[in-house]
Amino acid sequence: MSNGGNPSGPHTRRFLSSPRSPAAVIDVEGLTKVYGGSRGVKALDGVTFSVPERGVFGFLGPNGAGKTTTIRILATAIEPTEGTVRIGGHDLWEDPLAVKENLGLMPDEVAFYPTLTGMQHLVYYGSFYGMSRAEARKKGSELLAKLGLADAVEKKVKAYSHGMKKRLALAQCLLHDPGVLIMDEPANGLDPAGMRYFRDLIRWLNGEGKTIFLSSHLLSEVEQLCERVGIIDHGRIVAMDTIANLTAHLATDAPSVLRVTARGVTEAVVDAVRALPGVASVETTALGLDVTASPGADIGPEVARTLVGGGAALREMRGEQRSLEDLFLSLTKGGGD
Amino acid sequence: MDPREWFRGLPIVARQEFVGNVRSVRFLIMAFVTALVIVGGSYGFSGLGGGLFQGPAVNVWTHPAYAADGSHVAVAWVSDPFGNRVVGATVVFEEPETPTAGRQFAEATTDADGFARADAGNLTFVFVTARQGFAEAGSSIQFFPRPPLNFTMVTAAADLDSDGFVDDLGIHVVDLTGDPAAARILVNGTERATADARGYARVDLGPGTSNVTVEIAGESETFPWTAFEVPVVGGPDVTLAIIAGGFGLLFMPIFAIVISFDAVSKERVQGTLDLLLSRPASRTGILLGKFLGSFAAVALPVTLVNLAGIAVIGAATGESPTGGFALAFVGLSLLLIAYFVLLQLILSTLAKTSGTAVLFGVLAWLVFNLLYNIIVLLISLPFDPQTRFQIQQAATLGNPSLVYQNLVFAAAPGDLFGGFGGTTLSPGALGVAAVFWFVFLLALALWTFHKKAAE
Repeated sequence: MSNGGNPSGPHTRRFLSSPRSPAAVIDVEGLTKVYGGSRGVKALDGVTFSVPERGVFGFLGPNGAGKTTTIRILATAIEPTEGTVRIGGHDLWEDPLAVKENLGLMPDEVAFYPTLTGMQHLVYYGSFYGMSRAEARKKGSELLAKLGLADAVEKKVKAYSHGMKKRLALAQCLLHDPGVLIMDEPANGLDPAGMRYFRDLIRWLNGEGKTIFLSSHLLSEVEQLCERVGIIDHGRIVAMDTIANLTAHLATDAPSVLRVTARGVTEAVVDAVRALPGVASVETTALGLDVTASPGADIGPEVARTLVGGGAALREMRGEQRSLEDLFLSLTKGGGD
Repeated sequence: MDPREWFRGLPIVARQEFVGNVRSVRFLIMAFVTALVIVGGSYGFSGLGGGLFQGPAVNVWTHPAYAADGSHVAVAWVSDPFGNRVVGATVVFEEPETPTAGRQFAEATTDADGFARADAGNLTFVFVTARQGFAEAGSSIQFFPRPPLNFTMVTAAADLDSDGFVDDLGIHVVDLTGDPAAARILVNGTERATADARGYARVDLGPGTSNVTVEIAGESETFPWTAFEVPVVGGPDVTLAIIAGGFGLLFMPIFAIVISFDAVSKERVQGTLDLLLSRPASRTGILLGKFLGSFAAVALPVTLVNLAGIAVIGAATGESPTGGFALAFVGLSLLLIAYFVLLQLILSTLAKTSGTAVLFGVLAWLVFNLLYNIIVLLISLPFDPQTRFQIQQAATLGNPSLVYQNLVFAAAPGDLFGGFGGTTLSPGALGVAAVFWFVFLLALALWTFHKKAAE
């Protein structure tokens, strides 16, 4: 595991502002997890974040960054090496039952008991929250109908498709009406229609007042659902802010690139472009040039004029806007799927 | 955590575990196998007094015979214990050199009627040994200068009908030329049998003393025969000891292992463990629920089968086993099952894959039922016999299976195996060891589950 590329430069520092609200429903501080003893692998390193009531927090990072480890700690499946977690005001290790009463978990790998039916799962899980059989069946039927799983209620789970298991996973997560939802890659493995269905559902749940912690490796998913985003890589939070702020930083801070398609670009023309004010760098490409502008500079008209003036045949000039995706990729060293 | 919350989730997990287990195919298979072994064994071993005690597979019946010129002929007839001829057996004839050892002078193979003969010249005493496979029978022949009767006979008694008495008298009769003779057999003056074409007859005398008369062509000999009881151990308590300390000791742990070997590892492998741990249930509650659910799924059928076995012993031997002994067997079986369920919960928590869980299950059985004894033997071998004995006695306490076995035997009547075997350990020491093992395994299972359930 590389430690050399930790984001400690001025560029990323700026995103690490994390104002911790006293009304936070999920409050995680200094979470560190080392697997396999003192000389083991550090899966999490000082992860700190908080999610306010009714907030939707996006936890973004490439596979293996530490998302699932964080979620398994929040779900009390594993204990952290260091750090504290408070959910709904209760400490996760001093009062785990109070936390778990109000917590719904949707794991990444949706796994069930193959020989039980969907309804048997809900009755079993419901009993942990003091729900009677009849109560669980009633609540479960409503939920499964709402999730479009009514036909499969009495079928054994081994006959379920992946999408059906995802819906059942959501049903068991919502059965006891928890205030806090922890969702690990809810859209993983779904077709575009299924992903959209889950997105709408999560919006609706948030509207119902649920506080949602959503982990994903898909930027688009997080971008559309979450107010705040934390980006994790190699077990560390490398950026954390609202989507709006992160995008604004990009607009002002991030350099933009002009992709130029042209013929007859001579050395002299390249030098002339490089000499223009506001041009940070120039690279020749197979098609023509990539011209990088200094932040905030509008260099398009001057570049075009210089090229044409130098005798080049200009075909196309396209300004490439840096997106959240670029930020995500640059922060996570281009790691991803 | 609130002490009232320590066991939260226990009944839910226990019920789920129990229902899941008793609906599984492996449960049905193990319940069937255990019933076959315990109930079937109870029936089979109730007949121990007779059927299994037949002595060697071959008998050799030997006679002196005389050729026309007066020289001696050694005659041997080889049969099974029931008087059926054995063809192709090797018969060795020896003349005595010392009172116990001889020098071979002839060897023959039994013919189609089971006879082998050898020319003995003027020898007056001949050793005869018949061999078929590794079954071997020996006898001897004394030649008289003037035979007293016109026939010679050999008798052999055994308990061939398993009635508990050695009263089945086989008689083999030949004339003085060594050919089978048509003998009539009378018991207390009544004709009861006639010798077959090979000279063999058998009579079931019944208990007490009988006068047996063998008669050929007007000449007869009468002798008394007293049937005695089969001198082997038997009866309901012996059968129960074999079931409780042998078959049950080996099979009840298998049932427990088969049911519980993957109780935790399966949840981990199929991915349901995290969801279970995220429920408002304590880990203590989940683990104890798993224990009680698996334990009940094994204990219930095993107890039924054990009670059925005791009933069958009573029906088959006409006598019930000693009450305290039977009760100890039924009760201590639950302890043995608990040991192995707890052990499997520990191993199942540590196993990362189903394959490892299976391997752990097989190893656990082998270790406590076989390897432990071998290891104790190896460790104690270098010592003098007295120290070796003491090591082996003390080692009993270190193996929960042996603790169970010795506790069951401690409740048995004292002279069970004629006083053989047993232990120098007091029931008190065994009882303390039994409690220790339960507490130790339970604590270890809880600790392991708390630490390792989801790592």
